This record gives sequence, C-alpha cells and structure tokens, in this order.
Amino acid sequence: MDNLFLEATKATPLINFDADKRIIFIKGQSYPENAFKFYDPVFNWIDTYLAANPSEIRIDVRLSYVNTSSSKCIMMLLENFEKAFERGVNIQLKWYCDMENESEVECAEEFKEDVTFPFEIIPELEKDH
Amino acid sequence: MFDEKMLIDLQSTLGSSGILISFSGRFSQGIIEELGEAIMKHMEAEDRPRNSIYNVFAIFVEITHNIKKYAVSKLGSEFYDRIYNSGIVTIGRNEEGYFICSGNLIEKADSERLAEKLDSLIHLDKDQLKKRYKEQMKKDLPPDSTGAGLGLIDIARKSSKSMNYSMRNMQDLSFFTLTVRV
Repeated sequence: MDNLFLEATKATPLINFDADKRIIFIKGQSYPENAFKFYDPVFNWIDTYLAANPSEIRIDVRLSYVNTSSSKCIMMLLENFEKAFERGVNIQLKWYCDMENESEVECAEEFKEDVTFPFEIIPELEKDH
Repeated sequence: MFDEKMLIDLQSTLGSSGILISFSGRFSQGIIEELGEAIMKHMEAEDRPRNSIYNVFAIFVEITHNIKKYAVSKLGSEFYDRIYNSGIVTIGRNEEGYFICSGNLIEKADSERLAEKLDSLIHLDKDQLKKRYKEQMKKDLPPDSTGAGLGLIDIARKSSKSMNYSMRNMQDLSFFTLTVRV
C-alpha cells in the first residue's frame, strides 16, 4: 500500500502515513477553508489501511491548533480507530500537548474521553514547537 | 472624498479604542491566515498567556470562517456581493482584556434563526456548553456540509464573558455584530 504524505501549510498539518512502519503521524495546525475536503484523502487512506486488518498501528499527533470543522474530522478518524480497536487491532495513540495551554490540553482530553483504545497525552517540550 | 484628515481621524479612532488589527471587506482564506498569524505574533511579543493567545486566535478563525462560509452560501442570491463585501473584524485590547468584534450583513430570513441559536448559547455555563459541543460533535452531517455546526458553541466556550450580539436593519438586509471577550 502507498504511503500518504502531505506537506504542512499554514492552515493544514503535515500528514505522514507509513503503511510498512504502521505509523500515522500528524503535526501542525488545522484550520483549512474546507476541512472535509482536506481530510478526504486522509479518511480514504485510513479506510483502506484498516480494511486490511493490520495487527497494530501507532498514531502520533501534535496539533497545536484545531478549528471546529477539523475537530469533527479528527473525531471521525478516532471513531474509525475505535472500531478497528474493537475488532482487535492494537492501537496506540500519543497526543503531544503544550501543557501550559489549558485550551490545547482540554481539546486533547475531550478527544480522549470518547475512545477506549490507549490514548496518551504527553507534554511536548517547548523547543520542539 | 477620503482625505488625510479622515485618515488621521480613522487612525485616532483605532488607537483610542485599543484596536490592534482590523479588516473590512472580502475575507479570503489567505487573509484569515495572515491576520491570524499577525495577532498571534503580537500577543506572543507581549508575553500574553498561551491560553489567551490560543483563545483569541481560535475565536478569530471561527468568526471569520463563519462570515466567509455564510457569504459563499449566498452565491446566486441578489445580495451575494453586498453580503460578501460586508465583513469586518477588529481585534483589540482594553483594561478588561482582549476583544474580538465582528460584523457582516445577513439576510433577514436568517437573522431570526441565528438570534435563536445565540440566545440558546449565551446563558449556558461552561459545563452546559461542553455538553452541547459534544452532542453536536456526534451528530451525522449531511454529505455536502462545509462546517460541523460547532463554531458558535466553540466561540462561547472560549469567551471569558457572555458574548454580545446585535442585529440592525440595513435596507433589505440585517447587519449582524458579535462581540466576544477573552
């Protein structure tokens, strides 16, 4: 299966999905004009990937800002991971956060509340911003 | 005719109101990104708490996307150009903190629905707003949606005081204003 790589822009995150290494990496800010359009290839890739019933997936997320329509898309992705987890796929998600920013931490915690797979909120070091 | 006297008056009004950034006209995604980044840099340089910077930026993005999406949704309406050109947003600071004040023309038929939605949010406390946000987040969206219906709830959640809004008749349309404080 092909990897999915999208370069970051001001309003869209870096997307780096590696099928062989089983790593899904998302980093940056997300507030495109049309989030559903931006995330469409992301949904497609993940649907195809999950349909092959992989044994495990690691997901690393570092999103410093997510607008509401992007949040909806992220929630839809998490729901897909949740379904895969229920089927027995080993899913590990790490969500990196600036812990000094309550709103950012709250955003991560609210995503975490809605899933049952391992979802770890990890402090991001300032120099890595 | 606009002259240097009016320019100086305009600058003086902006300065005395504490306005840091203002934009009036058609919002494009590029303008939203540039202004958003400018306000973020400005607040960082002033050493504001990360949380305030984030909230001002988030409210600015949701407000300007709402204005832009509303205008785009009126494509084909006789009021399309007037609506599209009517957007204004200001971000400023006074002794109470930051404020984001915006305005745009909307069709009268939409003003009642919008007022109802805002009235239903304004008196909710933070826990009730979170509940409303989560309920809306779980709703299935029609396939042609360009938004998730979460913007105003998110603005209310990030606002430190209740938001204020107004609707003013402007010939065939209404001018809607929204003021949010952080």
